[in-house]
Amino acid sequence: MPNEKKPDPTRREFVSSGARGLGLLTLGSMGGYLSGRSQAEETVWQIDAEKCIRCGKCATECVLEESAVKCVHNFDMCGYCKLCTGYFEPEPNALNTGAENQLCPTGAIKRKFVEDPYFQYSIEESLCVGCAKCIEGCTRFGNGSLFLQVRHDRCVNCNDCSIARSCPSQAIERVPADQPYKLKGKGEG
Amino acid sequence: MSTDHNSEMKRRKFLQNGAKGAAVVGLGAAAGFAVSRLPGRSRSPESQDREKLGDEFTYDISKYQKTDPSLIAYRQAGRIETGFKLPRAIAIGPEGKLFVAGDRGVRSFDKNGRRLTEFKPSGLPLCLSITSDSVYVGLKSHVEIYDAEGVLKSAWDRLGSEAVLKSIAVVEGAVFAADAGRRIVVRFDSDGKVVRHIGKKDPSRDIPGFVVPSPYFCLRIAPDGRLRVANPGRHQIETYTFDGELEHAWGKPSMAIDGFCGCCNPVSFAMQPDGQYITAEKGLTRVKTCDADGVFQKVVAGPEHFPDATKTCAADALTDCTRAGLDVAVAEDGRVFVLDIIGRDIRIMEKKG
Repeated sequence: MPNEKKPDPTRREFVSSGARGLGLLTLGSMGGYLSGRSQAEETVWQIDAEKCIRCGKCATECVLEESAVKCVHNFDMCGYCKLCTGYFEPEPNALNTGAENQLCPTGAIKRKFVEDPYFQYSIEESLCVGCAKCIEGCTRFGNGSLFLQVRHDRCVNCNDCSIARSCPSQAIERVPADQPYKLKGKGEG
Repeated sequence: MSTDHNSEMKRRKFLQNGAKGAAVVGLGAAAGFAVSRLPGRSRSPESQDREKLGDEFTYDISKYQKTDPSLIAYRQAGRIETGFKLPRAIAIGPEGKLFVAGDRGVRSFDKNGRRLTEFKPSGLPLCLSITSDSVYVGLKSHVEIYDAEGVLKSAWDRLGSEAVLKSIAVVEGAVFAADAGRRIVVRFDSDGKVVRHIGKKDPSRDIPGFVVPSPYFCLRIAPDGRLRVANPGRHQIETYTFDGELEHAWGKPSMAIDGFCGCCNPVSFAMQPDGQYITAEKGLTRVKTCDADGVFQKVVAGPEHFPDATKTCAADALTDCTRAGLDVAVAEDGRVFVLDIIGRDIRIMEKKG
């Protein structure tokens, strides 16, 4: 009858309802979490070298002890100069690989003779800290073939990248995970 | 009736339970999604205390960007807006007329900066040379010749897809073009037929070969009847006979005022009647005079005179210095005309005093 008071649920009924509710809540939570993560993993962080102003924050702001940002080199754009302004100090004592002549504070750029007067310059990633000092020299005087990129074998793809948050030129942005690098020159991808 | 009422009660209970279940699932989904979008790892308080990079990480060339005032022998007497978005080359013609190549056209100005004529070659004009009755325009891979009014007189054969003509000079019976793409100087006869290539690496003749890392490759005919060609990657200006024999070279790499800075300079130069050079550099954007032997004399304009070009190469700019070159020309009265590519204007520099 409509006005009859419903009987109190038994303990069994209460536990049973609670378990069903908890199960539904857990199912919903897992679905929501996985949906959120899958959206994030469709994109990764990357630096637009055309916007980068070589401030040095990539080296200091990453959550990782060793920044995920490294210098990369587009050989297509490089002049292979004997006097590379990304490799040498502004006024080197000599154009050789002496430490006092090198621009990079960590010695991460390797110089290799090709044929007179051309030299090849490559980055030893394990030594690079992403400070962009070489990029400053290369861009000021050279062809701009050196630039910074987030390395995705190191980056943990934070939802809110701490480097992006502090980048003064908003050079770090989300890009599709299937095109994770923004390369300069012909190698753009 | 009782059966219908029971069915109705069961349906209502089903719908109520379904709504409750959907609400619980939705709440869970929202909570799960929110958790997945949390910032994630953050820097520990210890790492946040980490200092900025030390001085050894700073690229500092500030001392080279200031010119000793006692070295500056010229003052700016005027300025001409080219009107181009991308000017590329400047040359001086008869009666002091200025010709400027830029965008897709060539414009002429009188010596006071008043625009006279404009004509459009078939492609992007990269370099110019003016004679008494003709305007030689170097396009990417060929030369076109116009009269002073811009009427096409002749178009020469193309040199191939790799050619990039960046400078051109004309004498009686010969035309020389600096091809930055193939790193060679091409000598034509007056009809446009290729006579020879000059400057190709040849150890047997002590010719080291041109090194052209960036799109600047300048040549001029000197008052002594020899060819002068900039070899920017070697920081030198080289003297060649018209037959291609290397006779002399001068220049050294240095950020200091008496050298050519960076990886590849000079980007342009002009010759005075007495054989003195007016050289132009990028990176440290500056124009200098050197005597006939290449010894530094005075500064025409230092980096302070080209703030836009200096900024273009610098940390707060969004490009590299290959786009911030200069071109120079010298008038008969000794005035120096400096084409500022980034500033899109011509600076008229006069000797002080």
